[in-house]
Amino acid sequence: MKLREEKIVIEVSHITKEFVSPKKYPGLKGAIKGLFSNEKVSKKAVDDISFTIEAGEIVGYIGSNGAGKSTTIKMMTGILNPTEGRCMVNGINPCKQRKENARNIGVVFGQRTQLWWDLPLSESFTILKEIYDVSDEDYKERMVFLNNVLELQDFFDRPVRTLSLGQRMRADLGAALLHNPKVLYLDEPTIGLDLVVKDNIRKAIKEINEKYQTTVILTTHDIGDIEELCSRIIIIDQGKKIYDGSLEALKDTYGTKRKVSMEVKKPEKVEHLNLAERLGVTAQECSMEVDKEQKVLTVTFDKHKLQVPQIMNAVMELTEVQDVKIQETELAEIVKQIYNHGFTGQEA
Amino acid sequence: MKKKLRIYLPFASNELKRQMAYKGAFYLFIFISLFGSFIQYFLWMAIYGSAENSVLGGLTREEMVVYIFMVYVTGSVVMISISDWVSDDVVKGTVAMNLIKPIDYRMSLISRAMGQVVYRFLVPGVFIWIGLEIYKVTVLGLSVTGVTNVLLYLASCIMSFFIYVLFDFCFGMVAFFTTYIFGMLMAKEALLSFLTGQLIPLSFFPEVVQKVFDYLPFSSMVYTPVMIYLGKYSDAQLCFVLARQAAWVVILYVLGSLIWKQVTKRLVVLGG
Repeated sequence: MKLREEKIVIEVSHITKEFVSPKKYPGLKGAIKGLFSNEKVSKKAVDDISFTIEAGEIVGYIGSNGAGKSTTIKMMTGILNPTEGRCMVNGINPCKQRKENARNIGVVFGQRTQLWWDLPLSESFTILKEIYDVSDEDYKERMVFLNNVLELQDFFDRPVRTLSLGQRMRADLGAALLHNPKVLYLDEPTIGLDLVVKDNIRKAIKEINEKYQTTVILTTHDIGDIEELCSRIIIIDQGKKIYDGSLEALKDTYGTKRKVSMEVKKPEKVEHLNLAERLGVTAQECSMEVDKEQKVLTVTFDKHKLQVPQIMNAVMELTEVQDVKIQETELAEIVKQIYNHGFTGQEA
Repeated sequence: MKKKLRIYLPFASNELKRQMAYKGAFYLFIFISLFGSFIQYFLWMAIYGSAENSVLGGLTREEMVVYIFMVYVTGSVVMISISDWVSDDVVKGTVAMNLIKPIDYRMSLISRAMGQVVYRFLVPGVFIWIGLEIYKVTVLGLSVTGVTNVLLYLASCIMSFFIYVLFDFCFGMVAFFTTYIFGMLMAKEALLSFLTGQLIPLSFFPEVVQKVFDYLPFSSMVYTPVMIYLGKYSDAQLCFVLARQAAWVVILYVLGSLIWKQVTKRLVVLGG
């Protein structure tokens, strides 16, 4: 138990952030009214969130737009004060000791750059080296590593403003890692990138995590990022934590449905088949659709209750099957479902 | 101390490099502001030409020429508007990128400003200064400004710089509360050109107004060093104005620290 506690890098307890803003009224009349009214509205961007993260974890922090992801990240980096609650990063309270905390963390905000816009990339790295007090040997070693995984050398001497988005993102990631931070916050690191660059960035994050045991917290809308990188995910919605657990557990609980599509020779023969009754399960656990024109039979079933061969057998008794396609429910669908309907299940 | 220098020096040198990256904008800035100085020059010459006294507001015609151009040189070197950067940082949300680094925001801004000071001193400051001295000796028939005056002027300028940037930092902090201060920046420019004596020497104002100015930091920004350069102060006055400048540096420094503490408490980072 003691060992576990020592490994905890981030501890967020009951953190809440409330934004207070003047009340706005609609229309021109409202705008004039707004000039004279002093009414304020407050909105809880983050509402009583708690979690702990251990060293070396890659945690996906996901939620729909405006769910409070970035706000949480900002509080963990120390640039935003929580209204209530407290977070500790490496035993430091980031809001009270912003500068001490800053030495331990690296941050990439996908939509912004921390590089000096008008200067060659190399200059930015030189400044960062001084700011974080990185020794010459460490700098050299790290640059070799970063060049390897991020391929910075191709554009190392070009002004940052002339870099493409993909190059800039790689440069930003490199800049955030130069001082070998214990914790790396990535706020939508793959936003707007093409597949190849995305893949490179993901690989780089993985390698960094493995080599330096860096704890990574990642917010993203890209399901691919989560599937490839995260061992654990935290989902928040409207400022509240609604899921915290492993990716597999989420898929297990909410991705139990599987789909089998079969191209059959004579669809009319299976049209009246009651598959659920035949296989001895409820209609909820197994449903069937027939597309006569395409001659396709689609069966949706619970993967814990039924196996694909069982269904195949039942269908093949009646007609010939020409082609079979099996689909797993994708994470994207699960997440979409959660975003749309909220989350009512218990926490894993 | 040495470590601090190592951290913040790059901010200065990078600002210098950045300035050079946008040469066009910079030369345009020189041209436009110098243009303003020449308008002032001709205006004052017309005033002196039609005036009955040869001395106006304690300045002779020749001294006025020196005043106009030294105000330009001093103003362009000393008045580095860091509140522009603060407002930019706040509006675009880039202030976050500064705050996630283990650096002092104010120090980084002042270091950047120093980079600009160096550049502005080299082009065009020092050339206009030398040009003015040559003009002074050959055309106006005055003697070259003494070494003591020049050194005192430079010392005063350094304090002026700190007074200005520390004041401007406090002013820029308003951006954190209102999130948009473009209009206020314009108002500040207009008001300062008046209060610092850039537009009209402060000695032209009525006694009462001058008394008020004595209690404000603005006269210490440009007017004081230029008057030192002109040798208008007696030794006792000199000690007083220099001490007053030093006091303003300390006051504004402390004030800025207090405001910054408040700001970070209720920091709002936009966007993202």
